[in-house]
Amino acid sequence: MLQQSGVAEPPSHAEQLTGPIAEEPLDAPRFQIFVIDAGWHSPARKVLHENFAMLRSLQTGDPIYVLSSEKSLEFTRRHPSLIGKGPVIAVHDLNALREAGTGGFHGFRLCLGLLRSEDQALLALQLFARFLATHRRSVDLEAEIRRNLRREGIVGAIEIILHHEPREIGA
Amino acid sequence: MPERWTDYLTIFMSALAVGYMVYEIDRRRRKLHEVFDVLGGQDAEVTEGLASMVENGELRPYTGATVA
Repeated sequence: MLQQSGVAEPPSHAEQLTGPIAEEPLDAPRFQIFVIDAGWHSPARKVLHENFAMLRSLQTGDPIYVLSSEKSLEFTRRHPSLIGKGPVIAVHDLNALREAGTGGFHGFRLCLGLLRSEDQALLALQLFARFLATHRRSVDLEAEIRRNLRREGIVGAIEIILHHEPREIGA
Repeated sequence: MPERWTDYLTIFMSALAVGYMVYEIDRRRRKLHEVFDVLGGQDAEVTEGLASMVENGELRPYTGATVA
């Protein structure tokens, strides 16, 4: 059973940064994070539940909104493209939304439910948490996401060539 | 032109290996993009749905330690 509270999130502290830095106060929320979990029993769901406290502890500067199972189910019914992808963690980039609305790039999401093993889901969650923490003050988040995905692709290619154990989340 | 059948075999196997690598890289790239997805115009409705739940007070920042 989910519990929701009206207590405001504590302000963030200085964070490790990569890339150009946005001119904003450190405690201004950059992201809104949503957890949508309609309740599919899956390894990803287990991993999310077991590690949510850690995720939350690492992400202190931005509000996290957890949809209850009922709300998630209702929301998924209204947006059937999400069926089978949950648990989903959607991150709205408030800067992008303020500048350009929802018409263009405005965030990213992790579809944990597409991962079939606990190891993959845990690795994805860890990479996701690291990405959030290190790119919180990025000026051009979209470019950095695309650069990261490209780099993951290149690393994956090198691993295939070298016959290394696949380490990427999409393997 | 290759003169021995083993040359043909080498060329064939090399082409097969390159083809497999291209296929595997593309497969992983697609999977990665499915799992880690960028929100764009096509997701506007989903984003607005979540944002409106926050605006009308249906959702509030979560302060619990677990989702269970």
